[in-house]
Amino acid sequence: MTSVAPHLAHGRAAVFRAESRKLAAFVRRDFLIAWSYRLPFVGEWVGLVLQAFMFYFVGLMVDPAKLPTFGGSQVSYLEFVAVGIALAAFIALALGRVASGMQEEQVTGTLESLLMTPTSPTTIQIGSVVYDLLYIPIRTGVFLVIIALAFGLDFTLSGLLPAAVVLLAFIPFVWGLGVASAGTTLTFRRGSGFIGLGSSVLILFSGAFFPLDLLPGWVTTLAELNPITIAVDGMREPLLAGSGWDGVGRAVAVLVPLSVVSLTAGVLTFRWALRRERRQGTLGLY
Amino acid sequence: MVEARGISRRFGPRVALDGVSLLVDEGEIVALLGPNGAGKTTLVRVLTGLVKPDAGEARVLGIETWDCPRELRARMGLVPSGDRSLYLRISGLENLMFFGRLHGLSRREAKARAWDLLEIVGLADAARLRSGFYSHGMQKRLSIARALLTEPSVLMIDEATHDLDPEAATSMRDLVRGLADRGAAVVWATQRIEEIRGFADRVTLLRTGEVAFEGTVSQLVAVAVPRRYVVRLRNGSAAARELEPALQDAVRGRATIAAAADGDAEDFLLHLAEDAVLGEVLASLTAADVDVVACREERSEIENAYLNLAGSTE
Repeated sequence: MTSVAPHLAHGRAAVFRAESRKLAAFVRRDFLIAWSYRLPFVGEWVGLVLQAFMFYFVGLMVDPAKLPTFGGSQVSYLEFVAVGIALAAFIALALGRVASGMQEEQVTGTLESLLMTPTSPTTIQIGSVVYDLLYIPIRTGVFLVIIALAFGLDFTLSGLLPAAVVLLAFIPFVWGLGVASAGTTLTFRRGSGFIGLGSSVLILFSGAFFPLDLLPGWVTTLAELNPITIAVDGMREPLLAGSGWDGVGRAVAVLVPLSVVSLTAGVLTFRWALRRERRQGTLGLY
Repeated sequence: MVEARGISRRFGPRVALDGVSLLVDEGEIVALLGPNGAGKTTLVRVLTGLVKPDAGEARVLGIETWDCPRELRARMGLVPSGDRSLYLRISGLENLMFFGRLHGLSRREAKARAWDLLEIVGLADAARLRSGFYSHGMQKRLSIARALLTEPSVLMIDEATHDLDPEAATSMRDLVRGLADRGAAVVWATQRIEEIRGFADRVTLLRTGEVAFEGTVSQLVAVAVPRRYVVRLRNGSAAARELEPALQDAVRGRATIAAAADGDAEDFLLHLAEDAVLGEVLASLTAADVDVVACREERSEIENAYLNLAGSTE
C-alpha cells in the first residue's frame, strides 16, 4: 500500500509552490477531456481555416486604398484582418471557456468535489481555465503562421515576439472578464449573456475586421479607448509595419493596468459569488 | 471528532434541519438514518462546509466547518449522494490521479495510490475505461475510492451503497469499518435500515429535519413495539377467505385478522389492538379449534423501529 498521508504545505512560499503544482493536474485533465471530443477539437481548427478562406475572398472585393497603411506600405485586406480574426477568435474562445469552465463544473456536479480537496478556490478557478489559457494563445499563433504561409501574407518575422508580448499583456484582461462572467453565472445561472454581449460590442468597435476610420468621428474616438483596439493595433504594428518594439511599450503600458483591474475585479466577483452560493447551499444546483 | 450542536437550516419556506445535534467520536460509525427529505444530506453538507447553517455550530476535528480550511479538507473524505461528482469523459484511473494531485500527492504517488484503491474497490480491470461508461454502482465505488485517497480522519458518506449489489455493499461496509477501526470517525447517511445492523455503532434518526431518535441500534430496536404478525394456521380444507369470519370472532376486540394478501393460503395477517397481548390472542385462536403453526413479525424489529420513529406505519 502506498503512503497516503495528506501532503500539506506550510508557509506562503511553500503553499504557493504546492498550489502551482496542482495546475499541471488541471492541464492534464482538460487536455484529456478535450481530446475525448476529437471531432469538435479538429472542427475548431477547420472552422478557423474556413473563416480565413472566407475573409480571403471578401478581401478580393475590398479596395486596398481604403485600408490604413502600415510603415508606409499598403497591406492587403487579409493581412489587415488576419490579426483581427485571430484576436477575436482568441477573445471569444477564452472568454467563453473561462466563463463556462466553472459553469461546467457546477453543471456536471464536480465543483463540490473540487471544493472538498485542500485546494484554494483561486487555484480551482485558475485551474479550470489554465489549459485554455495555454492552448488558445498557441492556437492563435499557429493560425497566424498557417494563413501567412497559405496565402503568402507579408508578416514581419521580427514582429512576432513584440506581438506576442502585447497578447500576453492582453490575456489577463480577457481572463478577468471571463472570471467575472463565471461569478455572475454562479449567481444567476445564465448570467454570461451580458458579458458575451459586451465583448461582442467591444470586438465590433475594435477595428479587428474593418478600419475604425469608416466609423463616425466620435465613435472612432471612443473606439480608440477600447482595450481590444489597443491590443489589435499593438499586434498589427510590429507584424505589418515592422515597427519592432516601437509602440509595444505604449500598448503594454495601457493594457497591463487594465488587465490588473479586470482580473482583480473578476476574482473578487467570483469569490463573492462562490461564498454566497455556499452560504445559500445552492452550489450544487443548476 | 465530529460535533454538530443545534444545527438549523431552511431553504426558503422549507425547514431542512431544526436544532439537530450529532456527535461522532474517533473510530465510531454513526448512521444518519431517515427517509427522503429528512435532512440527512443537508446535515452532511453542513458538516463538510458546503452549506452554512442558519443557526448552531458544526465542528470537525475542532474546526468550524464553515471556515473549512485546507487543513480540515485534507483530513476529510466525502462520498456525495449523487453520481455526478466525477469527470465522466476521463478514466477512473485519471479521475483518482487528478483528485490525488489536488490532495498534494505527486504524480507518481497519485498514480500508485489510485491503482491501490482501484484494486480495493474492485475496479482495477476498468481502470482505463472512461468513467462515463461505468455503471452507477461502479461510479459509486470510484467515488468511495476518491474519498479514501488520503486515508481521512473523518469520512462522510451519503447513500454509499444505494446502487451497489449486496456483495459490493458488504465489501464497502467492510472497507469503511476497517477505516473506523484505524481511528476514523464516520458519518454514514442512509435511508436503508437493513444496512446499519451490525455495522453502525450508533444511530441518529432524522424525521423532517428533527432528531427522532439517538442511540445504539439495540436501543433503536427496543423502542419499537411490533403490532403486526404473520400467523400460519392449519385450517384443514377450508379456504382462507371462508375461515376469516370465524377467526375474526375469535380475536374480536383484541385484534383484527385477515388472509395475507401475498402469502401462502395458510398465512394470515394479525394486527394487534393497542393493549392486546400476543400470547392471549394466539390462545384465543387455539381455543377456537384453530392450530397456530407459526407466528412471526410482519417486519423485522429494526424495520418496525424505523417506521415507527420515521413517522410512517406502512
